[in-house]
Amino acid sequence: MKQKQPVKIFLVDDDTVFLKLLEIEFLENGEFDIETYETGEQCIEMLENKPDIIILDYLLDGVNKDAMNGLATLDKIKEFDPEIPVIILSAQDKIEVAVDCMHHKATDYVVKSETSFLRLKKIISKELKYNKMEKQLKWYMDRM
Amino acid sequence: MKELKTSNKASSKVETLKKQESLFARRLIEASLDPLVTISPKGKITDMNLATVNITGLDREKLTGTNFFDYFTEPQKAKEVYQEVFANGSVTNSPLTLRHIDGKLTDVLFNGSVYKDDSGKVLGVVIVARDVTAEKRIATELTEAKIFAELATELAIEAKAKAESATRLAKDAVKAKQQFLSNMSHEIRSPMNAIIGFTKVLLKTDLTAKQKEYLTAIKLSGDALIVLINDILDLAKVDAGKLVFEKIPFRLSMSIDAMLHLFQPKIQEKNLILVKEFDKNIPKILLGDPVRLHQILLNLLSNAVKFTTKGKISVFVRMLHEDPEKVTLEFAVSDTGIGIQKENITKIFENFQQASSNTSRLYGGTGLGLAIVKQLVENQQGEVNVKSNPGEGSTFSFVLDFLKTSEEPEEDPENLDFDKTINSVKVLVAEDIPLNQLLMKTLLDDYGFESEIVGNGKIAVGKLTNNTYDIILMDLQMPELNGFEATEFIRTNLKLNIPIIAITADVTTADLAKCKAVGMNDYISKPIDERLLYTKIIGILKKNKHKGLAKPVAKAKEEVLPAKFINLDYLKKRTKSKPDLMMQMISLYLSQTPPLVKTMKESLSKKDWDALYAAVHKLIPSFMIMGIGTDYENMAKEVQEYARTKKMTIKIKPLVNQIENVLKQSCKELEIELNTLKHNQT
Repeated sequence: MKQKQPVKIFLVDDDTVFLKLLEIEFLENGEFDIETYETGEQCIEMLENKPDIIILDYLLDGVNKDAMNGLATLDKIKEFDPEIPVIILSAQDKIEVAVDCMHHKATDYVVKSETSFLRLKKIISKELKYNKMEKQLKWYMDRM
Repeated sequence: MKELKTSNKASSKVETLKKQESLFARRLIEASLDPLVTISPKGKITDMNLATVNITGLDREKLTGTNFFDYFTEPQKAKEVYQEVFANGSVTNSPLTLRHIDGKLTDVLFNGSVYKDDSGKVLGVVIVARDVTAEKRIATELTEAKIFAELATELAIEAKAKAESATRLAKDAVKAKQQFLSNMSHEIRSPMNAIIGFTKVLLKTDLTAKQKEYLTAIKLSGDALIVLINDILDLAKVDAGKLVFEKIPFRLSMSIDAMLHLFQPKIQEKNLILVKEFDKNIPKILLGDPVRLHQILLNLLSNAVKFTTKGKISVFVRMLHEDPEKVTLEFAVSDTGIGIQKENITKIFENFQQASSNTSRLYGGTGLGLAIVKQLVENQQGEVNVKSNPGEGSTFSFVLDFLKTSEEPEEDPENLDFDKTINSVKVLVAEDIPLNQLLMKTLLDDYGFESEIVGNGKIAVGKLTNNTYDIILMDLQMPELNGFEATEFIRTNLKLNIPIIAITADVTTADLAKCKAVGMNDYISKPIDERLLYTKIIGILKKNKHKGLAKPVAKAKEEVLPAKFINLDYLKKRTKSKPDLMMQMISLYLSQTPPLVKTMKESLSKKDWDALYAAVHKLIPSFMIMGIGTDYENMAKEVQEYARTKKMTIKIKPLVNQIENVLKQSCKELEIELNTLKHNQT
């Protein structure tokens, strides 16, 4: 169960500037395998690449009205594999939005700000640790 | 015979003539209304006329042979008089009084003369007693009338004096009332300034829901009190003829929209429908007093909302007439509320009157609103009309003339919010009341301004000789040197044209004129509205800056020190200053931002709120990345919020324009950065 492979992260955001910034930060601050997508549709198409974690923007259909929105993308991901942790990223700090995301089985909710990368990193390491523990537990349970 | 016959005939003819003459004389005598009597030398009545009979009340038989003087009130005097006649031959106008048998008295003037036979022997006296009752009565009446006239004149003079003193009293009373109101408004406003101001400060702190609720109640009550004071002051100003109407260019439809926006929350809360009908043919910019118009409509609308529990409230603006100089507009506010009984319609325009005493119990209010409306409209040569059916609703309408103009209205000072070009403002505050000092400091700190506070005008003037400030906030009533004196000193002795804003608890027009006269730039009344204070300070500073910019020297200076909107510190930290990464980021920003700005502009003009929201929403994170100030980010967030709630407001457009400018400027700066990076790499 050793994780030699770098963690594979999907970054999904239609705000290309912010997307690029996150990508840079991840690449500059650790061993990550980053794939970036500007739409929910592209992300879902590529789920076959088996991301360890997905960071998903909440409002994907803002400027492009026909685009799939964040929550719909989240639902599709969970449909594909409920085990993939999805962290929702949003420019809004509205509690209703956060609660709504959690109800759609998001792992966590992060507001876009100067510190969002640090928080994302923390959440990711915690989540991965938790996943690992769960997998180990499952492994032991299977053995018993 | 013939002669005799003739003689006889002649004599008989003479006889007949004589007889006729005598009869004629007798008739004349009898016809006289004055008593005529003949008396024998012994004083006995020998003959009399009908008037004598009438005045004495005795018939001829009874009178004949009696003593003439017996019929007078003073017989002795009468006797003397007729004896005088015998002695002297006549008497004229001797006053005596005759008595009727029933007691009625007749005043007469006694005239008499003796009559003699051919030999000269005195046969008796003929007396004419002229009845002067009527004359006497008229004389009395005349005297009485004269006395009355004199009395009346005296009364008139007295009344005039009374009226004059009453007028003086009334004038004094009006003056005293004005003074009282002015004083009271000052005395009330000063503490209210502290109450409302600190309540607002407290409201910004961390509070429990309950605390917030109570504080909000305090603030609402304070605001209501201030409205009342303002209303009373306005009415006093109208009464004193001191209300002046401005003639400035303004945008009518914008004015109306802004006001309707104020009522939106209340209307929604009460589940009412708001209908607006605005005549599109009305010229966009008119000349008039937008503040007073706002006040009139505000009063009418707040009544409409107050007295309506279900249904709709409609606001109409129609153009009744247009000529090359002016337009005549009709404004109407219609509701489906409780309505007004016919007999109460005239009453509602009086001060402190509501349609019925029940009304104030049920709905509150001071009853001043409509009085103000009436005064404001009529003082602008307009007319207010009411149509109402109890239970169905009321329509209040008024007609006003507005001049046309080609002038552009001044920019709304509200639009100057959070202007980044104005920073590090140094404010000198002269204010003597410690509580208000503290409040002022709190507010200025909040704006991020540097402030120095002094207790009177003298210290303020002293400070100015050694330090420089951007602006002075000057309370008017201070010990040592008051605001007027201090300003005058600054302008004339120190010859400084530093902007000075008067802070006054006293908003009578006289004071405002004085403010301008001594050279103050503006004024703000207590309780201080923090937003208004901010916009006034920024407005004045910006105006001064524009003036400076007009000069070429200042322009050159501006070019030397271009204000930078971007700050790449954050980006450098994130990218560890790796040029390739920075270039990637900047290029991405440069390709993403312009289309978004375009969308933002277009969606606003199309009122496509969703698109506006999305565009601004997407722009927001990049402010932080490129280090474009949080003030602008907050502006964008404000726009985002307006777009989210789909609230049209006059504020949104200037905000969007400002964001557009800032971002365009930022893009230019980033292009320069990008070029520098590229250049350094090669």
